[in-house]
Amino acid sequence: MDWHRILLLWCGAFGLLALVGYGRSLAGVTRAQRTVRVTGRIERVREPRNGGSERDGIAVVVRFRDPSTGEEFTVTNDGDRGDRITTAWVGREVGIRYPPGRAHAYRFSDDLQDGRRGLGRPTFAVFLVYCGLVALAAIDWGWPWALVASGAPCAVLTAFHLPGERDRGRSRLDVLTAATPVPGRVIAVLRTVTTDEDGDLRTRRAPVVSFTTHEGTAVTAYYPSDLPDTAVSYGQELTVHYSPADPAVFTPDLAAERRSEGKSLGCAVTALVVTAAVAVAGVVLLLVLPA
Amino acid sequence: MTTTTGAPPRRNIPVALARGFLTGGVTGGSLAVLVVGVVLEKVPLLLAGPGIPVVYGLLLSLAGAPRRAREAAVVPRTALAVIESRDAAASKVSDVPVRFELTVVPDDGPAFRVGFTQDVHDTDLPDYRPHGVVVVRYPPDRPWLVRIVKRPTPEWEERAAAARLDPAPDATRFSEPPEVRGVGFLGLLGLLLAAAAVVLLFRADLFDRKAATPPPSATPTVSSTWSTTVVSAGSGTVVLDAGRSFLDQGELRRSVEALTGERESRQAITVVVQENLLSVVFSPAGAAAPDFDPLTLPYDRIPALVEEARTTLGVHAPQTWRLTADAVTGPLTVRIGVTGPEGSAALEADGQGRVLRRTTAH
Repeated sequence: MDWHRILLLWCGAFGLLALVGYGRSLAGVTRAQRTVRVTGRIERVREPRNGGSERDGIAVVVRFRDPSTGEEFTVTNDGDRGDRITTAWVGREVGIRYPPGRAHAYRFSDDLQDGRRGLGRPTFAVFLVYCGLVALAAIDWGWPWALVASGAPCAVLTAFHLPGERDRGRSRLDVLTAATPVPGRVIAVLRTVTTDEDGDLRTRRAPVVSFTTHEGTAVTAYYPSDLPDTAVSYGQELTVHYSPADPAVFTPDLAAERRSEGKSLGCAVTALVVTAAVAVAGVVLLLVLPA
Repeated sequence: MTTTTGAPPRRNIPVALARGFLTGGVTGGSLAVLVVGVVLEKVPLLLAGPGIPVVYGLLLSLAGAPRRAREAAVVPRTALAVIESRDAAASKVSDVPVRFELTVVPDDGPAFRVGFTQDVHDTDLPDYRPHGVVVVRYPPDRPWLVRIVKRPTPEWEERAAAARLDPAPDATRFSEPPEVRGVGFLGLLGLLLAAAAVVLLFRADLFDRKAATPPPSATPTVSSTWSTTVVSAGSGTVVLDAGRSFLDQGELRRSVEALTGERESRQAITVVVQENLLSVVFSPAGAAAPDFDPLTLPYDRIPALVEEARTTLGVHAPQTWRLTADAVTGPLTVRIGVTGPEGSAALEADGQGRVLRRTTAH
């Protein structure tokens, strides 16, 4: 088989797609760029029913105004409406996006700025071109090039982002530790039972925590997903630490939060070591192996 | 916009049939192309196999884009509805499929009945009792796509709580346009026809593959036999067309390769060559016979050795020659015998084609 021709075809096709994508983004005609992005405000938060669906998020009523027509819309997060709302309080701002002129097709968005320029697909096409080039290099110059070309960029990216992530984690922990805690309670444990591909039943559960901040904001939120929650039960009293600037930054278990932070930092460091080792192994093999 | 009741819109029958046939054809054709590509080891076919359905899917998606844009632009309508009946299927999962029969009462149109299935979480099932009023949403041009709004806005929630609705007669029922009959059959027909067409298109390559492996100008008549006797012996024979000889460039090696190509073990006990007849006796499986790999014969030297035997051993007008290769005496030995009016003569060479012994004609 002529792998060269296939890989060149692969790189050419995805390179062309990437160019078209970047061109469309520059021209400002991507769907993401035409999408209307507005901020809505939560008007009502409904307390979830214990045992209810874990998929649907906290039930809220949101009001937003369409900037082009000035029309006001009152909507709920019923059915498939984009990002799940997992933390809510009356007055909280939430991102909403929809195609121009179709406010009825609204979707909730955790990060309104995310994907604003529509560069996701062309960048993915560039990644596929890179994969093709790595395969070509591995065939032409020896397989250790695949180790170098896959390990080195991952190591550089991890090393680049690691300090920032570490600082963010530390400052988040500092804020949570410094804040005066408030009492909270598990007001529901949501669950969804599904079948997996083997036909076995799988249950996903999500405790819902309610607490009122010192400022008087009544927050209803899913238990943080990165903390272990199997021991959390319906009606359980909790001590909640939160950031006064943004009650969405909270933790009902400060010790577990610290452990989780350390664990994620450890994972990042392990990833850095592994990817760097892969790259170094590739370089060593290139030097040792005969041409 | 007013909702009209009555017969649902018909589907475009010729288009539905054509699409069914095409989809079946593309499925069968691409699968057949993929299989043919694997058999013939042809990269373009291997790429075309998955490529055809991708391109077809893209074309289908492009063709449906205007319709999807039209449907997406329709603002869904919200209305109150009363549950006529509810049938929840037994389910182990938390989202239970429930068959609802509703009477939908739009604000600006006549009430109509509609039936549909929607997943409801088991803890929410008590909220949807028969004769209860619920809020529904549906596209006005396709009312059979109605769905219950599980989280209505406060305004609609209050309206639903205060409403008393009467059921609509069954004659006002809306249902999804029926599927066009025969689409499945045409799809299957397209699948079979396309697969057969692809196989027919490549029949020459698929079925004449073995004969086409050596160059067409030197196609031998290959008769390879396998004996199922007690000792599990096997042999192979190649007879060349008249006018061809195993002394032609590369002919002997090609023929031996043709005989050994598909065998698990190609070890042979004897290789005998006479003008245009090649015979190989293969080593029985598991037997400790003095065998050798027939591909290790000194093919490049054989024409020269035969020529030497015919010209230098005292046989001036040799009529036949015969090459015998075996390893009976230990190392691989090639014997070339020539016969003429003067009698017989023979030449013996080793595995590298070096002459070991000459026996001249008496």
